[in-house]
Amino acid sequence: MEFQDYYKILGVERSATADQIKTAYRRLARKYHPDVSKEANAEARFKEMQEAYEVLRDPEKRAAYDQLGSEWKSGQSFHPPPDWGSGFEFSGRPAGAGRAGRRQAGATAGAGTYAEEDFSDFFSSLFGGGSPFAGARGRAGGRDHHARIDVTLEEAYHGTSRTLELKRPEVKPDGSVELHSHTVRVAIPAGVTEGQLIRLAGQGEPATGGGSAGDLYLEVHILPDRRFTLENRDVTLTFPVAPWEAALGGSVTVPTLGGPVEMRIPSGAQSGQKLRLRGRGLPGQPPGDQYVQLKVVLPPADSPQAKALYEEMRAKLNFDPRASEAR
Amino acid sequence: MVRVIHVLEAHVLGESDWIGVSEICQLCRLDLNAVLELAALGVMSSREQAPGEWQVPATALPRLRVVGRLMRDLGVNVSGAALALELLETQRELELRLRHLERLAADY
Repeated sequence: MEFQDYYKILGVERSATADQIKTAYRRLARKYHPDVSKEANAEARFKEMQEAYEVLRDPEKRAAYDQLGSEWKSGQSFHPPPDWGSGFEFSGRPAGAGRAGRRQAGATAGAGTYAEEDFSDFFSSLFGGGSPFAGARGRAGGRDHHARIDVTLEEAYHGTSRTLELKRPEVKPDGSVELHSHTVRVAIPAGVTEGQLIRLAGQGEPATGGGSAGDLYLEVHILPDRRFTLENRDVTLTFPVAPWEAALGGSVTVPTLGGPVEMRIPSGAQSGQKLRLRGRGLPGQPPGDQYVQLKVVLPPADSPQAKALYEEMRAKLNFDPRASEAR
Repeated sequence: MVRVIHVLEAHVLGESDWIGVSEICQLCRLDLNAVLELAALGVMSSREQAPGEWQVPATALPRLRVVGRLMRDLGVNVSGAALALELLETQRELELRLRHLERLAADY
């Protein structure tokens, strides 16, 4: 695994005070917070910062980290020293208060998902799992876990399934912790929307005493679609039409998430006008609608015949598209 | 080696679900006072199912989780996070409209 220079990540000196570390973290968090930031690598950068702050804000963890020495550089190959953690007095904070050990019970499902607060192997080797810095597990019931799951718009419409690999810590007779993974398939019902939570009862942290296991929550993220834009359960499609279809009206075949349907364009339709297909958005109670926004596309005047037709229109139609602006 | 796959029943928290305030606090990592203040600010609706047993619609969860993250990670208070949430949503709506108009204008 690679060494992480937490001071460098937060841009502070090794001698920085707790206030300076907090200020540096807040300043960077404002810039890279995934809910706010438009930076391309915001999520990865923010996780790095969270991990660095988690260590440097905690006097015990910071002291232990500092003990590794200042010679290490980010990216350098690293293994914890054999006597790692000795000589420290631990506060034994409850598991819920710190982030240590969360990685051990996260969920992974290949591309498109991530476990929240998924800290690096470097962090886990120093402060997670069997480390003396891992939170003391004083509670009987397991904690809930959260992960994000990416689905396409079509999958959201039809429903889909995902195979998740869930990792769980198991305490061995000698007291050390070993990770065990098991694979589950989750059916994702049709009609899930952006940000919606899917609860998998009992799939979070296992109970350590007589309580029940925590739940696993999957937060749905719908990937952008090439054709449709989504707003709540409604979808909008930009649909090209010929000038005569808009002017004279007619029946056209329009793609929807559920397959093509026939739609009537009223005569006198204009470019930008929206037509509604009720109930053709994402399923739900009530289902969303599909909006078809017309885009009138002019045929190119690239042949003598086409030019003649445009000339004829100019001569006979007496049409001024800017008439209303002149008033 | 044969890989054993368990099939899980998933429950989508949707329009018809209401969630107790204590569970909301856990899911969004907010304290009770923050949830009550957010309800008072109109960030989400709430109902009193029984005396003292407040519930919040599950559809409010995504917004409340953003509020929780903003408070925790940026150190803003409840009203600051609620304001940021509204501004972020407005920004996203405007960006959506802009993208749509850009698509329309692409060929003109």
